[in-house]
Amino acid sequence: MHALGRWVRSLLLVELFEGLALTGRLFFAHKFTIRYPEEHTPKSPRYRGLHALRRYANGEERCIACKLCEAVCPALAITIDSEMREDGTRRTTRYDIDLFKCVYCGLCEEACPVDSIVLTAITDFHFEKRGEQIYTKEMLLAFGDNYEAQIAADRAADAPYR
Amino acid sequence: MIQQIVFIVLAALTVGSALGVITARHTVHAALFLVMTFVASAGLWLLLHAEFLALVLVLVYVGAVMVLFLFIVMMLDTDSQSLRQGLVRYAPLGVVVALIVFAEIGYVVYNRELGVSFGTPLPQAAGFSNTRALGETIYTVYAFPFEIAAVVLLVGIVAAIMLTLRRRPGVRHQNISKQVRVSAKRGRLRIVNMPSEPRPPEKNP
Amino acid sequence: MGMLHSLVSWWNALPADLQLTIRSIVFIVILIICLVLAVAYMTYAERRVIGFMQVRMGPNRVGPWGLLQPFADVFKLVFKEVVLPTNANRFLFLVAPVISITTALAAWAVIPFSNGVLLSNANAGLLYLLAVSSFGVYGIILAGWASNSRYAFLGAMRSAAQMVAYEIAMGFALVGVLLAGRSLNLNEIVLGQSGNIGHWYAWPLLPLFFVYFISGVAETNRLPFDVAEGESEIVAGFHVEYSGTAFAAFFLAEYANMILVSALATVMFCGGWLSPFQGWQALAASPLGFLTATSFIWFALKICFFLYCFLWFRATFPRYRYDQIMRLGWKVFIPITIVWLVLESIAVVFRIPPWFA
Repeated sequence: MHALGRWVRSLLLVELFEGLALTGRLFFAHKFTIRYPEEHTPKSPRYRGLHALRRYANGEERCIACKLCEAVCPALAITIDSEMREDGTRRTTRYDIDLFKCVYCGLCEEACPVDSIVLTAITDFHFEKRGEQIYTKEMLLAFGDNYEAQIAADRAADAPYR
Repeated sequence: MIQQIVFIVLAALTVGSALGVITARHTVHAALFLVMTFVASAGLWLLLHAEFLALVLVLVYVGAVMVLFLFIVMMLDTDSQSLRQGLVRYAPLGVVVALIVFAEIGYVVYNRELGVSFGTPLPQAAGFSNTRALGETIYTVYAFPFEIAAVVLLVGIVAAIMLTLRRRPGVRHQNISKQVRVSAKRGRLRIVNMPSEPRPPEKNP
Repeated sequence: MGMLHSLVSWWNALPADLQLTIRSIVFIVILIICLVLAVAYMTYAERRVIGFMQVRMGPNRVGPWGLLQPFADVFKLVFKEVVLPTNANRFLFLVAPVISITTALAAWAVIPFSNGVLLSNANAGLLYLLAVSSFGVYGIILAGWASNSRYAFLGAMRSAAQMVAYEIAMGFALVGVLLAGRSLNLNEIVLGQSGNIGHWYAWPLLPLFFVYFISGVAETNRLPFDVAEGESEIVAGFHVEYSGTAFAAFFLAEYANMILVSALATVMFCGGWLSPFQGWQALAASPLGFLTATSFIWFALKICFFLYCFLWFRATFPRYRYDQIMRLGWKVFIPITIVWLVLESIAVVFRIPPWFA
């Protein structure tokens, strides 16, 4: 009897129609796709995207060329040269990050004693020529200047958990 | 006029590709030439207003028989050199067979009693259906030979199946019906419902 | 006005043969353009529908709602290089896509689009269709063999065996139709289904209808029967070595065949261009009376429904295993069709109502 029932079920394609009903229902289901350039997924304040170098409120750059980030970087992506500035402080003359090498681990940010190097939430960047992947000190400072408000807000939001 | 040209083209194609069948070096090419021959002769039959026969020729021989032929020929790694070895030895037999076939065709063509007409076929009435005419002839006048031919073919099928069907012990077979019948709900998967563990007491910080 | 008049008189002055030839050529050109456009938008619809069923959007960037996507794809394909593999049989390699596309288009000659609107009102239209569609497999076999590639060859072999198996079931299903319609002429078969939706052959021949449509899916190598392509097993099967326009030709042939199978299912089983509400007096009198009229629109709508089914199947079913495909074709479909043919013959001979009275 069981076998007969199974035979009839398979002959009437019952299970296939069940499957079709499922996909037929999903056809009308709400689509969760994010339409990317217009919409963005919400990002955590801890998001680790493109790097930036910050400045103090008076415009002085934070970085003191301690090279802790260069030392801690597991991918050896950071290159720093430094010399004494006229006012006797130690400053970087070169601060390059090779974004092909960088693994976005965020250890540089953790190591930085003056909160200079940070990883921002910026993800929309690309390179078109070889060599463009190396971001220099000027570029990183510019990112920091442009996105300071967001960077500060993200740091403030994450501060209670640190 | 146009019919003449079409006939000449199709006839040349038929003869040419038939020659190709026996001269082609590669067996796959020979099989493809045979397909070409069938198609061209189907075209010739169309010229004779025998559209049913023409279409069935294409359907059965081109669509099914030659596909299986190609299927086999492509898989075999035939050595054309060894195939050509016995040519001289078997040539007389081939010539005799060819002569017999030729004589049969000649008999049909030149024997007036069979009533074979030549030239362009007579124009048929508007509603004339070749298929219906053929069906009526086969199932009334030639019903008996037709059935006998069918039985002979059936015997051929059964014989071919019996020749290839052999039971080999120790070979693992898949029972597809059984595999298809499998269902996750019945017997394959057991969903166990058990109470979740009690939550550990919150640690005081 | 005078120009139109002179044009008409010039047309009437032409010999009848020439008139017929010109009319046929114009018909063919229009048909092919429509088909190619339909194929282009079929690819778009496929990606959209399957996307929707998988709860995502599908292509929606090129043009409004992505409507220009097919043209982007076509331009990309046309500008690509046609690569000839080394040791491939050049002639057969290039002829195979041509065979595929020719057979896919040639079958449209006998499809009636509306009452009497067809290229060739051949008496043996049904047989012609079967004969032409049986040609299609040569494109695939030759492509697979001429490519000189293991994967392509495996695809061709699978496709050949599958086509032969399902062509028989398909043929038997169509025999059922011609038993019911008592004609091989497609126009007459459609006219035989006049009346409302209940007169369609899909009802008395329901099993044959299902067998026909499923065999049609198998014949066109669509999922769940696409072992000839089987991208997860044999890369892309018979067209793995093809690129650019040659690949586009195979693509076009596959989709044209899908539309053809849908059109045939419509003509044979679902009353072709006939309206499902034909003969419903109350509706005919109401403002919605145009719904009862027979028109090409109904034909197109029914084709669209079957094409949607193709996509629906693709989104729903996993690929069959090869031996299961063979089992389904030989051991399930052919017995079903034979049994139903016997039953139908009895019904036809004894004129059993409601359908065969």
